[in-house]
Amino acid sequence: MSAAKLPPFEYYEPVTVAEATGLLATHGVDARVLAGGVDLLPRLRAGSLTAGHIVNIQRVGGLDYRRGTTSSGIEFGAMTSLHALELWEELRAGYPALYDAIHQISSVQTKCMGTAVGNLCVATPASDVAPALAAYDAGLLVSGPSGDRRLAMADFYPAYGCTALGAGEFVTGVEVPALSAGHGAAFMNLVRTHADIAKVTVTVAVTLRDGVCEQARIALGSVAPTMFRAREAEAILQGKELTDDLIREAAAAAAAEGNPIDDIRSTAQYRKATGEVLAGRALHKAFDRAQAAAAAGGDRGSAERGEAR
Amino acid sequence: MNKQVLTFNVNGVPCDAIVTPNMTLADLLRDELGLTGTKESCQVGECGACTVLVDRKPILSCATLAIAVRDKEILTIEGLAGTVGAGPTGLHPVQQAFVDNGAIQCGFCSPGMILMATALLDENPTPTREEVQEGLGGNLCRCTGYVKVVDAVLAAADAMGKEAGRWATS
Repeated sequence: MSAAKLPPFEYYEPVTVAEATGLLATHGVDARVLAGGVDLLPRLRAGSLTAGHIVNIQRVGGLDYRRGTTSSGIEFGAMTSLHALELWEELRAGYPALYDAIHQISSVQTKCMGTAVGNLCVATPASDVAPALAAYDAGLLVSGPSGDRRLAMADFYPAYGCTALGAGEFVTGVEVPALSAGHGAAFMNLVRTHADIAKVTVTVAVTLRDGVCEQARIALGSVAPTMFRAREAEAILQGKELTDDLIREAAAAAAAEGNPIDDIRSTAQYRKATGEVLAGRALHKAFDRAQAAAAAGGDRGSAERGEAR
Repeated sequence: MNKQVLTFNVNGVPCDAIVTPNMTLADLLRDELGLTGTKESCQVGECGACTVLVDRKPILSCATLAIAVRDKEILTIEGLAGTVGAGPTGLHPVQQAFVDNGAIQCGFCSPGMILMATALLDENPTPTREEVQEGLGGNLCRCTGYVKVVDAVLAAADAMGKEAGRWATS
């Protein structure tokens, strides 16, 4: 076993957001943000990524928080660990698809070190957290040299391995909107073993009103160069009653919007076929949950908790 | 890249070491401090062999910069014995349970498994079998000794629960 050391780099520990954005702006593409380090350090060691400057944001004040409820929406920070999110009752009970996406990550050590924001910023199409947040219509809070802005999770990846962040910008937190009555969501992925990354990952969120689908969001990962929302499939469901036939049609449309590749984990053909199956199952599960929530009426919180089986 | 002398808190003892920013915590422990109980196997954060506790949380020392944890409490396998009421052998109850249950084969994954199990029991003192399996999901054993490892963690939970009860009533 070769004991490869990390290559040398300049190292910074900013304590304010402004200091961090200043360092990132100064050093440009040769600078990388260190949050949990679970992705960055192994890639630096392997040489699949290079960085002359490492900006460790672990000591930046005010980035480790989790607050809010299902009725107000929830927020968490760039330094909030996946494990802290997993242990958060408000998230588990209110946003079960996001909880499932985090909980199924098999290594507790990775969840204790790693952050949800770090997972997003790696910009892998195989992230399970990204489609879960996109289906809940989350927004990313971004700080940069010229101020703050908010990016929609669904618009965060312009191309494979890239984020929409500009020079000197980094993500400081995530906002997940409040849930309306009659909401239900479901996460599903397909993996060879739980420790491996997903061949297909999908999260669906639907809102029912008077038995009709008021809104549907379907986000898929691992079946295109980036995570994406299947907008054509969503449009098929909007304003309709969710029958088995309609769900089947939407699932087929969602899979057709993907553009998967052949790689060591699966063939493109297999990903397309299983993507359709998974999207259909997730739609059914989200629909069942939404029906249960709608039946429980205004008492959304306890309805979600009651059916979080 | 600057070298600096920093003082680390390892197993409750202040330790001085010369570090560079690109030194991982595993490098520091093994190469600078001679604490070779921490094993480094995959070096990509997949196997859990290098697990140590930092402020009581299980982390991968191969994917952690030493400089970033300079003011934290670091616990390695060398410092585990004696942190909880030790039995006649002096071992920590999780270590003792690994010995008693034959949960060690080649031993390379054992320090990481034992520290991860300690952190698991710290957070959940009465885990189910499934919770133990999930808790050890990030620790690979190439001898495939998982059944006895899970048995050992459940036995340790039992022993530690009885010990806590004994102290509570005495």
